[in-house]
Amino acid sequence: MPIVEAKALTKVFRRPDKGPGLGGSVKHLFARRFTDKVAVDHVDLSIEAGEAVAYVGPNGAGKSTTVKLLSGILVPTSGEVRIDGLHPQRDRMTVAHRIGVLFGQRTQLWWDLPVAESLAVLRDLYGIDRATYRKRLARFDEVLALGEILPVMGRKLSLGQRMRADLAAALLHAPRVVYLDEPTIGLDLAVKDRVREFFRSVRDEGTTVMLTSHDLADIEGFCRRLVIIDEGRIIFDGDLEAVKDRFARERILHIETARPAPLETLRASLPGAEVTVEDTPVRYAVRFDRFAMTAGQVVTALAGLAELVDIRVDEPSIEDVIRRVYSGELVLG
Amino acid sequence: MRTPRLYLRLLGAHFRSMLEYEADFVILALATVLMQVVNIVFLAALFAKVPDVHGWTFWSVLIMFGAVALAEGFCSLFFDGMWSLAWQINRGDLDYFLVRPYPVALQSSSANVGINGLSNIVMGGIMIGTGLAHADIPWTPWRALLGVILLISSVVIKLSINLATNAVSFWLSSPTPMFAFAMHQVGDLARFPLSVYPVALKAVLGAVLPFAFISFFPTAYLLDTGQSRWLGLITPLVAAYCAGAAALVFKRGLRRYESAGN
Repeated sequence: MPIVEAKALTKVFRRPDKGPGLGGSVKHLFARRFTDKVAVDHVDLSIEAGEAVAYVGPNGAGKSTTVKLLSGILVPTSGEVRIDGLHPQRDRMTVAHRIGVLFGQRTQLWWDLPVAESLAVLRDLYGIDRATYRKRLARFDEVLALGEILPVMGRKLSLGQRMRADLAAALLHAPRVVYLDEPTIGLDLAVKDRVREFFRSVRDEGTTVMLTSHDLADIEGFCRRLVIIDEGRIIFDGDLEAVKDRFARERILHIETARPAPLETLRASLPGAEVTVEDTPVRYAVRFDRFAMTAGQVVTALAGLAELVDIRVDEPSIEDVIRRVYSGELVLG
Repeated sequence: MRTPRLYLRLLGAHFRSMLEYEADFVILALATVLMQVVNIVFLAALFAKVPDVHGWTFWSVLIMFGAVALAEGFCSLFFDGMWSLAWQINRGDLDYFLVRPYPVALQSSSANVGINGLSNIVMGGIMIGTGLAHADIPWTPWRALLGVILLISSVVIKLSINLATNAVSFWLSSPTPMFAFAMHQVGDLARFPLSVYPVALKAVLGAVLPFAFISFFPTAYLLDTGQSRWLGLITPLVAAYCAGAAALVFKRGLRRYESAGN
């Protein structure tokens, strides 16, 4: 049985149609008009226990709304959600023990309490015994370096400190499923690395993770499954590596030769590849399909024609692929 | 017992950080005492002109003033966060409340400690005590117990009205609790004998928003004053009804919650 299941999940927000200024507001009082905005449109999603799923999509695609529906914060307009077979509103208390949620844009820490005290309040709310609590904190401390921020007031935390503390808060009760909504937003590289390492340790312990991010570096090397949403609909749901194999087949080999080489000869030696001159006449770029030929074959072919000084291979990132999907260039599925 | 214990835990967390602002604490407490003194001066001036209002003397009206102050005091001291509900809804603070294993309404109401409630409780207690001392009541253990039950019921009614009127914020989009505040002002009318008001207002205070059960009816029953004194006996039932209705309104409202940032 899947741990998270959504069937035809739909959320429609109703927004008042108001004209500009006070006049518009007054008019709205007498002639109430609304526009419906479909934020999530018949989403079917099924996540098995222990899976790590990346949920990506452009701004306003409905990512956060989906997370809020899957965690029971919002009531769907139609369709249904089950967490571990439970109804998120009817069995809210039980579901709360099984899920953890982090919204990168918003903290759950108390602004007027030190981090240690906020975590202690959560410990009591979730009914975690002290020994377990100490053990978990010690483990979080290893990766997140919590120790130094425990005595700091919520309002005095820097963004990176806050995110580390919030991650600990979201995972304190060892939830079976954790939703991470933009967990690296605004963080500097050093903190990002640390936070990503933490995700991996959480995943390796068997926690189901659903990660929403704009930063595609978060998902590469973390999730095996990729779900892409656009305008409230899922446009792709499948294996991340398969996407790369299918749409990121292209490799670019950059070469530098000792002397300018005749372009026509280079082209003739590599049918099926595309050879172009780069910024100087001794630098060339060779685009090829990695399933049609290997980088080794390309180098061998070129080495017979010119003296190679330097070579470098560029591999397109999943970022490029997803960007192309967003722009409508690629149609997945 | 877990729920009330955790409630005090949540409140206590805020209480400690609030004590950092000692000056605020003292000023607020003094301001509240002053407000109640003004109320008493006003009452004394009124009753200097008339000996009684429909059979109600200065001392009996003082008990009603005390009951309202006491109920309000409890609400501010322990449930002041309710008044932040509109703001919490607007900012999307309920997102995290909804994923924690604790009642959402109680997470909201524990978000703030109204320290002025403390002086209202003390002043209200003094007013009720003084008023009762001047009344000619044949005290029996049963009557004393009933008095305590009526007092608890009146606090529950005030609390329920606060919760229900603040929960209206789920339907309105204003970030301030204007509706609840207006209703709170209406409640001040219940400090005077209901018999002085026209029928429509009696119906509002007695049934629609039963503020009269916080002060008038229970006091009328205890003092054996007025025409419909038996109504004071149903105060606990009214309290149960109000609590149920408020919980229902809140629950319905919560289903409409749309979070922020959409």
